[in-house]
Amino acid sequence: MTVELFGMSRALAGRAVIELAVEGPIDYAGFVRALADAVPALVPDVIDPSRDELVEPNLLLLDGRRAPRNGEQFGADDRPCVLFLASGG
Amino acid sequence: MSYAGPRDLLEVDLTTRSAVRTVLGDDVFADALGGVGLAVRLIDERVRGPVDPLGPQNPIVFAAGPFASTPVPAANKHALASISPLTGLLNEGLSSSHFSAVLRRCGLAALVITGTADEWTTLAIDNGTVRFEDATPLLGCSARETTRALREEYGDRSVRVCAIGVAGEHGVRYAAVENDGRQAGRGGTGAVFGAKRLKAIVLRGRGEVRIADPQRTAEISATLRERAVGPKTAKYRVLGTGANLRVLQRMGQLPTRNFTAAVFEGAEQVTPERARESRNSYLELRAGCAGCPVQCEHLYVRKDRDRRGAAASEYESVWAFGPNCGVDDLDAVLDAIARCDELGLDTISAGSTIAFAMECADHGLVPREAFGPALRFGNGAVLVPALDAIAERRGFGDVLADGVRAAAERIGGGASRFAMHAKGLELPGYEPRTLPTYALGLSTCTRGACHNRAATYDRDLRDPSEDRDDLARASDAIAAEDRAVAWDSLVLCKFVRDCFTDFEEEASELWSAVAGISLDAEGLRRAAQRTWERKRAINARLGWTPGDDTLPERFFAEPIPAGANAGRRIDPERLLALQAAYEALRRENVGHRTLDVARGAPLG
Repeated sequence: MTVELFGMSRALAGRAVIELAVEGPIDYAGFVRALADAVPALVPDVIDPSRDELVEPNLLLLDGRRAPRNGEQFGADDRPCVLFLASGG
Repeated sequence: MSYAGPRDLLEVDLTTRSAVRTVLGDDVFADALGGVGLAVRLIDERVRGPVDPLGPQNPIVFAAGPFASTPVPAANKHALASISPLTGLLNEGLSSSHFSAVLRRCGLAALVITGTADEWTTLAIDNGTVRFEDATPLLGCSARETTRALREEYGDRSVRVCAIGVAGEHGVRYAAVENDGRQAGRGGTGAVFGAKRLKAIVLRGRGEVRIADPQRTAEISATLRERAVGPKTAKYRVLGTGANLRVLQRMGQLPTRNFTAAVFEGAEQVTPERARESRNSYLELRAGCAGCPVQCEHLYVRKDRDRRGAAASEYESVWAFGPNCGVDDLDAVLDAIARCDELGLDTISAGSTIAFAMECADHGLVPREAFGPALRFGNGAVLVPALDAIAERRGFGDVLADGVRAAAERIGGGASRFAMHAKGLELPGYEPRTLPTYALGLSTCTRGACHNRAATYDRDLRDPSEDRDDLARASDAIAAEDRAVAWDSLVLCKFVRDCFTDFEEEASELWSAVAGISLDAEGLRRAAQRTWERKRAINARLGWTPGDDTLPERFFAEPIPAGANAGRRIDPERLLALQAAYEALRRENVGHRTLDVARGAPLG
């Protein structure tokens, strides 16, 4: 599964895109665990030490358009993006 | 227990060259806290009807943050308020760093300046004395040069200075006021300084700033400081807000070429991260406010150039001169940002005004060669010449110096279609057609198009597909407005917003420990609501009507042309429904007083 990285995740991974070795669709929690396995450096600034969720302001949007619903399975065709928002002050 | 901090109000009349110092009572601090709350209260007491923003009656109010010059981190801040020459309505902004701290060390909770000086003046508040000094030798200087000159004159590097640049001297209606390299940029308070012939304010003071409960203050501050150097602020320390540019581009919501598109093909070329990643080409400098562990500012300059020309790379500034002007040349964008700081211009309004002029030129309404290099989307070479002409009001720069709303009226020929503003204040870099709650907050904001007073864009961005009802969105917009007032009254930097587990609970405890006046979470919320009511009441007296709470016609009439959000526009009926829900909730919150207050009735 190809994942696009932005902001902190890109800075820490040193790459704009990574490949996750996952078979078939996965849900949000599975995605975050696979991401932590692939890029351990994302813990704790991007991925919570529990490895269950992303740390705000990092967020997962599918094709940059929508957050996966609770329990929803998604795959590579959904184009997952780990995005990042730094609100102004 | 009475208010522990500095509590003097210094009122200066530049016309009569006089100053009166009084003491504010506990009731004032209990009611308004400090910062924006106090500044708005002081404006409310003084502006009881229409005021010419460039006339002597328009007060300039500085109100210190109540945590400035204490151990509280990210809190050396002050509010700066006046009636905006750009909107004709209340404008309250923030600035920070050493000047804010020394304001309190001068024993001041607030400073109010009225009148108009006969000659260009520097106001000096020097260890308890007030002097009016000749500022004529400083004319033409940037704020930075003014600061350097005054420190040399005083022979004291510890004096703190706020000043205007050339743009303020020439009355550009989006001129900024700068201190310690920080700007109160939006709304044109720099032009109010200029109209009063006030070039600079010098502060020198070493008084004690008393804290009611030093031990509890130190404990809470230590916790906050620890959180402020952890993951909660990594986004600002490592990357800065400029990182939003790539994200908004990926989401198909990056306002481009004066909001005619939402995807910018040159976005990657101007993202500040590109400069960061090009360490062979660019030097990255870090800066921040006094007493702040975050040090959020990321400045860049080409390695073969003078580092004093380094430009801050905040998202809004990069967006204003990059995507919004269609410019994909990072050097041109950084040069324009640095030039704004030299001239004393608000980057958002300056970039947006040039983008407006570019679109006008596309439609034959203004000459392409107005500033030399072609006034055309994508031409970075025109940015600095245009800024210079605006700041000095030379040629067509004089038209643009009044902002897009007034410029459109002077240009005519339907130019108002291209004037992207709310209540006269140019829009920041978020796309209202894709962000419904943000669009509501932007339309109702008392300051005009301010993303920091109704910061609901991040709520919308977190789930662009979420379908929430009108009441939920209205509730979010109100909560964001009131939360912003609370932050700005305390005054805490919003970049540490995530360092609080329960903001109202923790912040009210912090206030109680520092100020010595008991406050709980509900009290903090009520104080914020009172200040919001005052803001609207002031605006009502200045001529605001509910019909002014709207957005540029483009967002209703022109769908986004391409990209992930192609076809989206704002349904005007939907915006009206959201505003009706907003008004209904506001009335509930304030016990039906809002409309009476809006008509000009004083608060009870």
